Amino acid sequence: MSQKDEQKTEGKSQERNSSNSDNVGGIRRSLSGRRGRGPIVKPKNFLATFKRLWYYIGKEKNVLAYILLFLIVESFLTLLGPYLIGLSIDTISASNGFVDFSALEIVVMALIFVYVTSGILTFLQGWLMAGMSQRIITDMRRVLFKKLQSLPVAFFDIHPHGELMSRLSNDIDNVSGTISQSTTQLLSGSIMIIGSLTMMMVLSPFLTVVNLLTACLVILLARVIANKTSKLFKEQQAELGRLNSHIEETISGIQIVKAFNREDKVIAAFDDVNMKLCEVGLKAQIWSGFLMPLMNVINNFGIALIAIIGGILAIKSIITIGVIASFLSYSRQFARPLNDLANIFNLLQSGIAGAERVFEILDEQEETADLPNAMILNNPKGHVVFENVSFGYRPDVSVLKNVSFLSAEGSSTALVGPTGAGKTTIVNLVTRFYDVTNGRILIDGIDVREYTRDSLRRCFGIVLQDAYLFSGTIRENIKYGKPDATDEEVENAAIMANAHRFISMLPKQYETQLSENGANLSQGQRQLLAIARVILSKPSILILDEATSSIDTRTEIHIQDALLKIMQGHTSFIIAHRLNTIRGANNILVIDHGEIVEEGNHDFLIHNEGVYYQMFFDQFKILREYKV
Amino acid sequence: MNFFSRYTGKYGKKFFLAVFFVMCETVCDLILPAIMAQIIDVGIAGKNMEYVLLKGGFMLFITALGAIAASFRNIISSTVSQKFGTELRLDLYKKIQTLSLENIEHFDRASLVTRLTNDVTQIQTLVNGLMRIFIKGPFLCIGSLIMAIQLNAKLTLILAVVIPIVGILILINMKFGFPFFIKVQQVLDQLNSVMREYLSGVRVVKAFNRFDYEVEKFNKANQELQLKSVKAMRMISVFGPGIMLTVNFGIAAVLWFGGKYVHLGEMQAGHIIAFINYMTQMLFSLLLISMVFNMFVRAKASTERIIEVFAQENKMKWDLYPSEMAAIKGRIDFQNVYFSYGKMKEEAVVKNVTMTCMPGERVGIIGSTGSGKSSLIQLIPRFYDVTSGSIKVDGEDVKEINPKWIREKIGIVPQKSILFTGTIMDNIKWGKENATVEEIETAARIAQAHDFIIALPEGYQTKVGQGGVNFSGGQKQRLAIARAFVKRPEILILDDATSAVDVLTEEKIKEAFKQYAKNLTCLIIAQRIISVMDLDKIIVLDQGEIVGIGKHSELMESCEIYREIFYSQVGKEM
Repeated sequence: MSQKDEQKTEGKSQERNSSNSDNVGGIRRSLSGRRGRGPIVKPKNFLATFKRLWYYIGKEKNVLAYILLFLIVESFLTLLGPYLIGLSIDTISASNGFVDFSALEIVVMALIFVYVTSGILTFLQGWLMAGMSQRIITDMRRVLFKKLQSLPVAFFDIHPHGELMSRLSNDIDNVSGTISQSTTQLLSGSIMIIGSLTMMMVLSPFLTVVNLLTACLVILLARVIANKTSKLFKEQQAELGRLNSHIEETISGIQIVKAFNREDKVIAAFDDVNMKLCEVGLKAQIWSGFLMPLMNVINNFGIALIAIIGGILAIKSIITIGVIASFLSYSRQFARPLNDLANIFNLLQSGIAGAERVFEILDEQEETADLPNAMILNNPKGHVVFENVSFGYRPDVSVLKNVSFLSAEGSSTALVGPTGAGKTTIVNLVTRFYDVTNGRILIDGIDVREYTRDSLRRCFGIVLQDAYLFSGTIRENIKYGKPDATDEEVENAAIMANAHRFISMLPKQYETQLSENGANLSQGQRQLLAIARVILSKPSILILDEATSSIDTRTEIHIQDALLKIMQGHTSFIIAHRLNTIRGANNILVIDHGEIVEEGNHDFLIHNEGVYYQMFFDQFKILREYKV
Repeated sequence: MNFFSRYTGKYGKKFFLAVFFVMCETVCDLILPAIMAQIIDVGIAGKNMEYVLLKGGFMLFITALGAIAASFRNIISSTVSQKFGTELRLDLYKKIQTLSLENIEHFDRASLVTRLTNDVTQIQTLVNGLMRIFIKGPFLCIGSLIMAIQLNAKLTLILAVVIPIVGILILINMKFGFPFFIKVQQVLDQLNSVMREYLSGVRVVKAFNRFDYEVEKFNKANQELQLKSVKAMRMISVFGPGIMLTVNFGIAAVLWFGGKYVHLGEMQAGHIIAFINYMTQMLFSLLLISMVFNMFVRAKASTERIIEVFAQENKMKWDLYPSEMAAIKGRIDFQNVYFSYGKMKEEAVVKNVTMTCMPGERVGIIGSTGSGKSSLIQLIPRFYDVTSGSIKVDGEDVKEINPKWIREKIGIVPQKSILFTGTIMDNIKWGKENATVEEIETAARIAQAHDFIIALPEGYQTKVGQGGVNFSGGQKQRLAIARAFVKRPEILILDDATSAVDVLTEEKIKEAFKQYAKNLTCLIIAQRIISVMDLDKIIVLDQGEIVGIGKHSELMESCEIYREIFYSQVGKEM
């Protein structure tokens, strides 16, 4: 992705370079031609989105006004250039052999003035635009990221991270890049077209008609080819997608490929898709490649036509040679933005579509606000009650049905049951990552929704199965829950979590830099750090969601020691697959299909010979069979 | 770039043909302004209608000629670049497939994917560009210069001033502008990583209420990015107008001095127009060249990344390729095996392992995470070569045999069950290309997968989503077992492959092995002690070393670590 971005920024800069110059239209065309290749994404509501976007652009009203002013002035000056050239040619060729130097001097001076002014104006535009567009992007990114803070966990569960990433980076880039560029281009293009057309009409109406004919031909041709290629490019995109997923799959599963001696087979399959991609890519490239030369032909044809007809007119003394010269320049200035217009409009559309995707996130429902007189939960005793709680992530599928239970303060509650039974959902509800659909949850006798969300979550310490660590040092990671902790506190927490030992063995100890998601530590070590992090934050209520399931049982014993230490005197919830882990819990809830099917402590449930009994002894059935 | 050499032989001729057509195209482009000048100076000035028509016709003819050349060039360059890209991609893919895992570990998997996609495309674009504009740029530049000198040698002095200035401006732009964009890229990467971390760790952020901290971190990166981007873009904004201004001054100078020469009768008005035309064409070509340079820079990085892969040499060597199968089937011998992923022996993850698995034996391997279980069994199919010591499969030292031959005998079910897109049937067939429906169903029955497969609406024809998303962990593992079993291997290796399967089903699978394949040597790595305690032999690993080997009852007596594992799972009272 990074490379693509680089390409984009660079492409942009080049485009900027060349779009400012009127003599090198060819470069711009070929560049934007390449960029506009992908299938065009049309926004759903162009105007409404543009209006919303104005909120961000409007903050830069003053700068924008300057840019527009410079743009308009510069466009007119650019229009003046060819006229002055024609004028000077005329002064040179007016009376054969005799040149009126005082007139030429005036014209050339005027020309230099025009060039210098328009050069300065172009520079100022670029300078101001750079600041403005970047400020807009930064602002939008900031707003969007802030929005992410207030979105419920559900949002992150539903949306693939890759997609969110692309909205935060690509789409926003796209918005500012394409919109600022395409609107100014659209504007200057329109001025150019109208201005050139007027100038041409003034110079020679007859030649203008000739010129318009060839212009129509160019537009028609571009249409035909674009129609043909857009289909091909779509096909190419599809084949490319197929190739990419084949590559992804076989590279990430390369060990299996090797284990089954399937190298030749996957290569053959690759070859197949690769060839198909080549075929359609070739077609697409050839067709789109015809556009440039053909357009050149038509343009040159137009020039030749103007030369012939203009020549005839000049011989008949209807126009001067200077008129032909300036007319040619104008016709070029007329054709370029005309060719680009469709392209620019597509760019603008894709920019607006990007903005739409960004706004979609901004429109997402936030976590409900705290009640106006919400209480602050501070050092709760940890008396937790579920009262007829029902919940569904989607309205039509209920995950929890009428769940009621009580956890006394300082007690430990274990949740067991098959995957998908709703164990994690219960945890999500207590911590208000989600809110109940029906019923209520009470902590210390008060509905959790009446506390501020902030203070509520501060009371919980959660250890998840996948211990997430951030890039940074080990110390920073442990301190994450309590940024102002002293080094001593950090070490004490690590000692309690049985993490101190392995940390001391690392060359840089607590200053060891962790890579993203702590990939340079083992699963068990990461889990120990996560536990130290929780210990340091001194939670009142502890939640262990499969905290030890990815760790082998011997290491688990060490971690359990640490956990038992912090659970002492605190209310705790434990979700575990290994029933052995939760035997000591005060209360075990057996959950299936969103309902509590059994409840009680280990001995009671075993005595009861119900579901739990079955689960427990299935584990040891083999043991008995082998009489150990 | 000698890595291109294997392709130049194949595409060289066509490449030069394309270059030839580009030249034709350029010549046509160059002639046009000259004809134009003639029309003005001779035709119009001399009021010669016939001449105007004649030359006008000639102009059209040249235009058509140029178009034909351009079209041919387009077809050839498209074909060459597409075919070249396709072939390069295939070669790279083949190379990756033949590399050993040891080689592949050098690369991030994701980066291998980008190398195959983005990087190849990047080079392909360059090749296409080479044929289109790289040749055209310098050619147009020199051609324009020659034509300009022909028109008026003295006016060329203006070019001698303008062109170097433009050239220097472009150079400075590239030299100073590029590092700016690299910086922008770096900051952008930082910003992205802040976001990625936030997205992955959102629960932790919420649980600890660290929003302010995250926002601050983000804002800092965001501000930095703004600063760097603005700098880079402003840098660029100086050069565009600068170049334009230089050229425009040139035009003004041509008009002024041209006027003088016309006054002296040394040149005609038409020549001035033509001269300006050639000058702008030269500028155009210079910009083209600078663009190609940018493409080169980009492609250079890609080329290096691709060469890096091609440069990898499979260090595994073998001289034996046993033609007939060995007499013994399913025997594995480890003799003082050491293994480390790195170079140093101290970091060995497998230390001094000596053991033997007899045909038909079922061997369990147990130990904590990081004790070297997976590393140990990876050595058997020769995914890696031992650092020292030897491993023999069926009496043959694996270091001397083609890995394909060994892997033919071995069925592996890895820790992470990876399935591929296709139907369930396709996936099981991975083990045996021409397996009959019956064989597949038997394998599925053994893996205890048959029942859940036929319960699916489409049975064995059910499509498997990418990575097997539509199946539960236990189902995926059972499909992976069926896939390994359909091969009818002599040796079957289960690398913690039943962790998501419940105990009873696991027991059924092990029973089925016994029943259907009596001589199958079975290596089972497991976390659950129950999974291995009934096996013929159990190997206890700790920190890469064997600390216990024997039956359950023996180990309970002799092996401290085994006892620890047992009690940690089963509890003391059982």
